Amino acid sequence: MSSGLSNSRSFGDRVILALVIALSIVMLAPALWVIALSFKDNAELMANPNSVFHPPYIIQNYINIVGTSAVFRWILNSLIVSIGLTVGTLVLSSLAGYGFARLNFPGRDILFVVVLFGLAVPEQAVLVARHQIFSILKFHNTYQGIILPGLSSAFGVFLMTQYFRAIPKELDEAAMLDNASRFRVFWKVLLPLTLPAQATLGIFTFLGAWNDYFWPLISATKKEMFTLTVGMASTQTNFAQSEGIGYLMAQAVFAGAPIFIVYLFFQKYIVTAVSGAAVR
Amino acid sequence: MTAVQAPRKPSHGPHSPDWKNALFVAPYLFFFVTLLVFPLFWGIWLSFHKADTFSSGPFVGFGNYVRLFNDKVFLQSVGNTFYFVLLTVPTLALIGLFLALALNARTRTATVLRSLFFFSSVLSVTIVTLIWRIVFIPQFGLLATVYGWFGATAPAFVSDPNLAMIAVAMATIWWCLGLPMMLFLSALQQIPGDIYEAAALDNASRWRTLTAITLPSIKRTFALVIIIQIVLQFQLFGQAWLMTRGGPNNVTKPIVLYIYDTAFRRWDLGLGAAASEVLFVLILLAAMAQYLISRRKEDL
Amino acid sequence: MKTIVKSALLAVSALAISAVTAVADPVEIKLQRFFGACDADFGTNTDVAKATGECGIITSLINKFNADNPDIHISVTNVEWPGYDQLNAQFAAGDAPDIVTIHESVLSDYQSKNLLLPLDDLLKSEGITPDQFTSAAQQGVTKDGKFYGMPIDTWTMLYHVNMDLFKQAGLVNPDGTPIFPKSVDEAIAQAEQFKAKTGKPYFVQNMANETALFMRNFYTYLFQQDSDFFADPKHIKVQTPEAKKVLEFYKKIYDEDLTTKDMDYGTAINAFLAGEGGVQLNGTWVVGDYNAQSETAGTALNKGGYAVYPYPQLFGGTHAQYADGHSWAVSAKDRKPEELAAIGKFLKFYFDNDYEWSRTGHLPSVQAVLDSDQFKALPHRSTILEVAKLGKPLPQQIQRQFALQDIIGEEAGAAITGQKDIDAALADMETRVNDLLSNL
Repeated sequence: MSSGLSNSRSFGDRVILALVIALSIVMLAPALWVIALSFKDNAELMANPNSVFHPPYIIQNYINIVGTSAVFRWILNSLIVSIGLTVGTLVLSSLAGYGFARLNFPGRDILFVVVLFGLAVPEQAVLVARHQIFSILKFHNTYQGIILPGLSSAFGVFLMTQYFRAIPKELDEAAMLDNASRFRVFWKVLLPLTLPAQATLGIFTFLGAWNDYFWPLISATKKEMFTLTVGMASTQTNFAQSEGIGYLMAQAVFAGAPIFIVYLFFQKYIVTAVSGAAVR
Repeated sequence: MTAVQAPRKPSHGPHSPDWKNALFVAPYLFFFVTLLVFPLFWGIWLSFHKADTFSSGPFVGFGNYVRLFNDKVFLQSVGNTFYFVLLTVPTLALIGLFLALALNARTRTATVLRSLFFFSSVLSVTIVTLIWRIVFIPQFGLLATVYGWFGATAPAFVSDPNLAMIAVAMATIWWCLGLPMMLFLSALQQIPGDIYEAAALDNASRWRTLTAITLPSIKRTFALVIIIQIVLQFQLFGQAWLMTRGGPNNVTKPIVLYIYDTAFRRWDLGLGAAASEVLFVLILLAAMAQYLISRRKEDL
Repeated sequence: MKTIVKSALLAVSALAISAVTAVADPVEIKLQRFFGACDADFGTNTDVAKATGECGIITSLINKFNADNPDIHISVTNVEWPGYDQLNAQFAAGDAPDIVTIHESVLSDYQSKNLLLPLDDLLKSEGITPDQFTSAAQQGVTKDGKFYGMPIDTWTMLYHVNMDLFKQAGLVNPDGTPIFPKSVDEAIAQAEQFKAKTGKPYFVQNMANETALFMRNFYTYLFQQDSDFFADPKHIKVQTPEAKKVLEFYKKIYDEDLTTKDMDYGTAINAFLAGEGGVQLNGTWVVGDYNAQSETAGTALNKGGYAVYPYPQLFGGTHAQYADGHSWAVSAKDRKPEELAAIGKFLKFYFDNDYEWSRTGHLPSVQAVLDSDQFKALPHRSTILEVAKLGKPLPQQIQRQFALQDIIGEEAGAAITGQKDIDAALADMETRVNDLLSNL
């Protein structure tokens, strides 16, 4: 393509290149800074902030984390919550998407419009009431308490409905005439075709759950139930009287590492998945 | 949408209304009703009551709303939210578009750079804010260090009332840039190559190709990016809460933080619920405006 | 061979079972506290004498309690200071921790909603009576005639001094003590002199992301003018000449660069320890840590020494300064007798170790410790002991004191840093506080 980096080096290309490089530095520098700090002794940093640029670099902060930090528990909790919500969302959205796109039942169109309205309801508009309901149900500080609210999101249903609608009807029509049950048609014929949409929805849901902060902050209030976001927040404002900066940075690197590794492995799929969302 | 319109079938075919078909949507609807619709109405009910975290009081009509719109801090938080959206959304869309255009190539460098610009999107908000606090913090900060090389003092991004929101916006843009870029990239890749070939044959300049072919082809994606980002950034909470606590003097307090503050720190649940409903209406309006605009564009 | 393995396995599992039954389900008590996290340094330390600082001492104390009492297990959740957001959510969810750190100034919020357990009987069963506490501590936790928390300290703000810089500035008496101002004008003059001689700001203050410091200074200097700004506990009155004088004073210090400006709490501490200014306004809780620093060779505080004093009297009224205290509160809920007993045992343990806690710099809540030679022998206690008399909290009946802190801190901060006109800030402060208090 004409706008790519690899073409002839005109003046315009150079400007673009310079801009891209500048932006890359802005992207990278903060992360590298944090990584560098995580390899420094807390006391040395206190005495001289510039010491980050020269040795000694140490791994003591990481050793301390392995020994003492609750970060592993937080990562585990985040994984349970994110996977639970992702699986739940995929199941519910696929079923509902098929129902709305392909089947007829009384009140279907009105129901779909109502669900679409749900897209515009921000989490915060229902937060206070949800918190009270979950208090009554004793759902706070449980995994279901963190997972369930996400299942009501209308985004997945909307996405899957659109995707099912885009599949040519001849495919399932033939199966229907063979008198296959509706669930069989859904399960055997259509569901496999929606894999790309499943991937898109799955990745968005997973990332959304992994990064959620607001709901876990008020629902998961016991340290055993902290998710990564809440746990990290519980330590980060205490630079002075608690763990030193180096330790906190090491904890941040540790906390960011798993999802980053997942990202590196699944990069291709994530990119296609994100692109999948744009088709519509 | 692209669905093929199937011919009408006689009334006993698979397309006739059947209650049993609703079983497919029932599981989702159960969660939708119990966890979204019901809490929404409960919240509206609460907003008409004087209620605190541990007891609910009498019906006060629009009392909470009156208090809300007399509260300077609430009005300020609405203004802050709009300011934040204005700072972030166009920047995200423009930088995202620029990067998509620049990196839309099948080279290894472009692939690596694309990953580089997307990686921050997978980090949690708490890690993002920790990173940026360490950038802005005096003494140890990256910015302080870089300025120090030139014998200058870095601006106090987090505590200067004129800069604090910009600091929050910078961290947000850094965090969220990946998604718009990817959306634009996929839109670019769907433009048929032969259009470009035709343009090349016509000896059209690059600028002309960009403005006459590329940009018009991704108009819908542009609208999509803008609406996704508006809805997302309207709900700003974590970055402001963790970087500035909404300060100095509330200049970085968004609506969501106001809700959190009122409901969970001041125990003023009714007022918090009322503020939530205002946020709901604002987002609904934004979504509807966007819907109408994109509708009209399609008609043209 | 097989049989050996088999019997070994049997033995191991028998051991495992007996090990489990030996510690037969220790009574689990959930404790929630602020004071920070320091697991890397003190996570497993049980030798309390080795610990320093709030976090180190409290962590080690709890470790020691768990080690000494195998039949009880205190499980600790650290929350970000002050932790009330979380506590509110927990109480709302009916899932509050058993024991929790609560400031005396906010006890009445929770007590008035019947969320806390009165502790008189429990303490009595452990042989602790109210009169064993200092009168400030007693007042701080008594609501409707009952103890709703066990006070562990009394704290206030102090002038933490870098003596090396004070010497350079010529602000030292012949006997080696620092010279402090006796009026607002003197304060400005001395700060200017300090700046001229050392090139550094007189005050090290955390003004970024901060409301507590502004509030404490504001209350302190209103007390010093005998301003009765909370004559009615439901109504604040700060559109007064007294309040204006306080803000004008701090604004002048700010405008003339006589203070550090853009630091948050952690950065301000680091700056003071690095010798970036003369006086840090911070609480009793850092005395222990700062003293330890001053004894470490090569540090800025080691050069000329560290001293710490109450706030000087700058106005014509009664000498006083804002004070508060920390307490252990127990949530109200149905408990088994052994759980209640375990809680009592922990409170007794903390009561008995009040001296260790006072090594942080806080004033002890136990009168016997306050009077003890052991406590008085701790460094700098001779100069700060006076705050036991000077310390003054807000009137008991005032609710939501931490929410008020945000409002007062925000408005005072806006006025001092020039974001707002002083009169406008005081007017807004009054409106916002009174709106909050009238809608409880």
